[in-house]
Amino acid sequence: MPAATPTFPSREVVQSRRPFSLWDLIVIPLVFGFILVASESLRGAAAPFAPGTPDLTVSLNPALLPFYALRSSLRMLAAIAFSLVFTFAYATAAARSPRLERLLIPILDFLQSLPILGFLTASAGIFIGLANGSIFGLEMASVFAVFTSQAWNMTFSFYQSLRTVPKELVEAAQVLHLSPWRRFWTLEVPFATPALVWNAMMSVSGGWFFVVASEVIAVPGRGQPQFLPGLGSYIGLAIRHSDVRAMAYAALTLLVLVLIYDQFAFRPMLAWADRFKMEQTAGTERQTSWFLTVLRRARFLRFLASLAMRALPARQRVRPTSSAPALQFNLRRAPSRRLLDLAWGGGLSVLAVALSVILLKFLLGAGFGSAGGQVLAPNPVVASGNVPVASITLRRELNSIRLTGTGTVWLSDVCAALRTSGRPMSSSLAAGLGVSRGVCETPIAAPGQISWLEVPRVLLLGAFTAARVVVLMVLASLVWVPIGVAIGLRPKLARVMSPVAQFAAAFPANLIFPVAVILIVRYRLSPEIFTAPLMVLGTQWYILFNVISGASSIPTDLREAAQVTRLGRVSTWRNLILPGIFPGYVTGGITASGGSWNASIVAEVVSWGSVTVQATGLGSYITKWSTGEFNPHVALGMLVMALYVLAFNRLLWRPLYALAEARFSLQEA
Amino acid sequence: MSEPLLNAKNLRKEFATREGGSHVVLDGINVSLHEDEVVALLGRSGSGKSTLLRCLIGLSRPTSGDVSYRGQPVTGLIPDAAMVFQTFALFPWLTVQQNVELALEGKGLTGEERTKRALAMLDVIGLDGFESAFPKELSGGMRQRVGFARALAASPQVLFMDEPFSALDVLTSENLRGELLDLWLERRIPTRCILIVTHNIEEAIEMADRVLILGTNPGRIRAEVSVTLRRPRDRDDPAFRELVDRVYEIMTTPQEQSATTPAPDPVWRRLPLAPINRLKGLLDRVAEGPDHGHDDLPVLAEEMRLDVDDLFPLTDALELLGFAKVSDGDITLTPAGQAFAEADILRQKEIFAEHLLEHVPLIARIRKVLDTRPDGRAPRERFLHELEDTLTGPDADETLEVATDWGRYAELFEFDANSGVLTLDPGPATQKP
Repeated sequence: MPAATPTFPSREVVQSRRPFSLWDLIVIPLVFGFILVASESLRGAAAPFAPGTPDLTVSLNPALLPFYALRSSLRMLAAIAFSLVFTFAYATAAARSPRLERLLIPILDFLQSLPILGFLTASAGIFIGLANGSIFGLEMASVFAVFTSQAWNMTFSFYQSLRTVPKELVEAAQVLHLSPWRRFWTLEVPFATPALVWNAMMSVSGGWFFVVASEVIAVPGRGQPQFLPGLGSYIGLAIRHSDVRAMAYAALTLLVLVLIYDQFAFRPMLAWADRFKMEQTAGTERQTSWFLTVLRRARFLRFLASLAMRALPARQRVRPTSSAPALQFNLRRAPSRRLLDLAWGGGLSVLAVALSVILLKFLLGAGFGSAGGQVLAPNPVVASGNVPVASITLRRELNSIRLTGTGTVWLSDVCAALRTSGRPMSSSLAAGLGVSRGVCETPIAAPGQISWLEVPRVLLLGAFTAARVVVLMVLASLVWVPIGVAIGLRPKLARVMSPVAQFAAAFPANLIFPVAVILIVRYRLSPEIFTAPLMVLGTQWYILFNVISGASSIPTDLREAAQVTRLGRVSTWRNLILPGIFPGYVTGGITASGGSWNASIVAEVVSWGSVTVQATGLGSYITKWSTGEFNPHVALGMLVMALYVLAFNRLLWRPLYALAEARFSLQEA
Repeated sequence: MSEPLLNAKNLRKEFATREGGSHVVLDGINVSLHEDEVVALLGRSGSGKSTLLRCLIGLSRPTSGDVSYRGQPVTGLIPDAAMVFQTFALFPWLTVQQNVELALEGKGLTGEERTKRALAMLDVIGLDGFESAFPKELSGGMRQRVGFARALAASPQVLFMDEPFSALDVLTSENLRGELLDLWLERRIPTRCILIVTHNIEEAIEMADRVLILGTNPGRIRAEVSVTLRRPRDRDDPAFRELVDRVYEIMTTPQEQSATTPAPDPVWRRLPLAPINRLKGLLDRVAEGPDHGHDDLPVLAEEMRLDVDDLFPLTDALELLGFAKVSDGDITLTPAGQAFAEADILRQKEIFAEHLLEHVPLIARIRKVLDTRPDGRAPRERFLHELEDTLTGPDADETLEVATDWGRYAELFEFDANSGVLTLDPGPATQKP
């Protein structure tokens, strides 16, 4: 300020820069190459898909793998774009309106607990209908499944950020008369960016798993599942043909793909988001990315960005200064508003009840699971087109009452056939079906509907899966906590290993599932026990890298204090290391346990060629009933799984998280 | 005097307490700001001075009362006003230049014009060369310069400043204050009027033409001190010191209770935020000082580098506990205060306990409740809820924290942070693993 003679602003600001630098020689071809390849690879994605269209399939020719990989990546990109749009709209609505918040946040909480792969069955039919019989519908179904694996946690993170925008910055935005639109982009989005980017990148890492799982889609009315062009389909077909070489090629491609993603998306995004952190707290490692540096040095992208930015001020200029944005005053609510709130609450309750009634009717049929005051008996599938009845005697029995084994045969069909032929249920038939002889005398649920009597069984299946998740989480913790601590306490090693663990988390574990099948069959292992490790195969890494980051953030002076006071090994672990890694461990645990529940749907039924290994559990239940159409059984399976996940979150993880924040946070110390 | 630029009449501001009651923060406030003057709003913490500033600029709406700007009633933010924040409130993801340009948006300027004006303001404020820096890269003083540049870039008629220098170290704040005053005196900024909220008495007197002193519970304007000293003002000037003494006097004179708001039950009154160690430190210093138990507050504050916000809670607490008498800017220890200062640690705790039970009704109450419980335990929430009948959430929490701190020191009760339970017998704590 004492400057009496005005000096000149620094050269950087005034002098217009040369539009290009040497780095542009790399960046410009990259940009155009990407656009070209993307548009080329999308050919055929909108071809018609009518009942007469031959089944979609892929080729195991490894030369096509780059193309498939690109298609899968584009699906991922589309999903993340949709997730972002959804996040902005949904979270903003919830954060701005307390009334909507009461509706939207519980829904989000519920959606988050639903098993992602269940969505695939639910959505395929809808999307094919929407896309008017085009392959594009299948593409959308696949993208939607990936979307569901990404959107929820991004939305939650954005919502949390919106609610914690620092008060002075909000006030500053008001005093500067920023319009709500401008405030959103200048204040709220940048503030939310670090958390949002971290969550998005974690989502994408997890998303590779679902891309692999969501490209092979069962479509109603087709005997064969449809293979969309992509890596996931390639792997699916290779598994069917038990083609080891193709699997190896696929694994290699995935490795390269995830590596590219790691270097060209994950790391640059995290490094870029660093800029939006409120405070650069000591101890937290700065993300670095060579690729981001290249992008920043190249001027071409900046030029593109400045073109885009020119559109913004035009919208801004029209706002007169005097019209201040609406302010949130800290007033007590007027009685009329309380009444409105009450009415809104009442409306929501009515809506909730109505939806529950609709859901129950969908699950249990028009009589809500009872007829004439009697609870309906279950109506199991006796034979289906996909799984022919095993025993020849049973097939003969069914043939004798004119029930030939094409299409789905329900128990109620057997009873109806018996009634028309006027024959009683023979003891051999009853034994073959695994039912009592008098089963046809009691009322049976309609085909496809659920009986109340099945619910406890599904809950029990859920308990099996829960037991697997718990045991495996404990085992994974026992293995990875010591290793993570050992790595985390050595800063140099941590710098190397942390990205490796993040990379491992992104690598889709379902690729390795067939190995388990081979081992289980060769060594005659129990599938009930030995399919379980598959559930944590991909998710254990979350524990590892969070423990690493927790251990490396233990302050050096605390470690020195422990040494100086000559704490023993046990005491050091109990008093320093375990409390120090606890917050990180809980964060990793939440992600890993949620991921394991999701993985159970593909991990409890695994195949290699014609061999299928199956474990009893909720995951295999859902898989069994995922026949292309959304049906009450899949719905029940998803509901029960959501119930378990919600229970785990509420009763275990949330209290642990609160404890970690209140007691073991090293931030305040 | 000419017509005021900004005029507030009979302002009252209440905050809702969690239990559905209301807590009056400001009451019966009349303020007018005129052209060509700097007004300082001085008060101890909790006097509602920041709330008053936010009511005046229009960030917060008063519960009742009117604010008018140039004769027009104000319902939202007043036009042509800018604000400087204690925490700078810079957007960390925008460069210095972008932060300043933000103030010029919505002014109907072209992009080039905005850039030109922003650069000109950065030049005036001494940030030349830092245009493309991010706030993170700057020191506190430089960050606040950006805060000033952003506020002044839009050529505001009225500049509001909420403790703009209190987050800075002494040297930096002195430097920045001087430069701002130079800009103001030399008319190099178009601002017609400045309102500064502060808890630093010297700062108020150095900068302002008028100092408004805000009382607490509820906040009301207790006095107005005109400062007619010639600028630049010298802090060692006897006339300056005299004004400082006078403000101290006003601020340490007990205020009469407001007629409109009845005094709350003393049990649930707010306690001064005075940690034990600071209390003991001040007691020792006064007892061993040159006058043995008697001291001049401005001198003490200067010597111990304490702000009003640091010092007054301590003197309030000493008065409340019956260890000292404070009036006319002086502090005098009572015999009990002297005895405390001279006692050994164990005896100190005994004296402290006696005085707590006698003079702090909240602590007497907690102790009584614990005594009547057969297990001698009561959850913290129980008292918190009762406090929240009369105090807002944060105040209630702080008050209970102070009571817990004092009670623990005096060994009147124990507090287990894990379970959130206050217990009578501190014995078991020693047996815990």
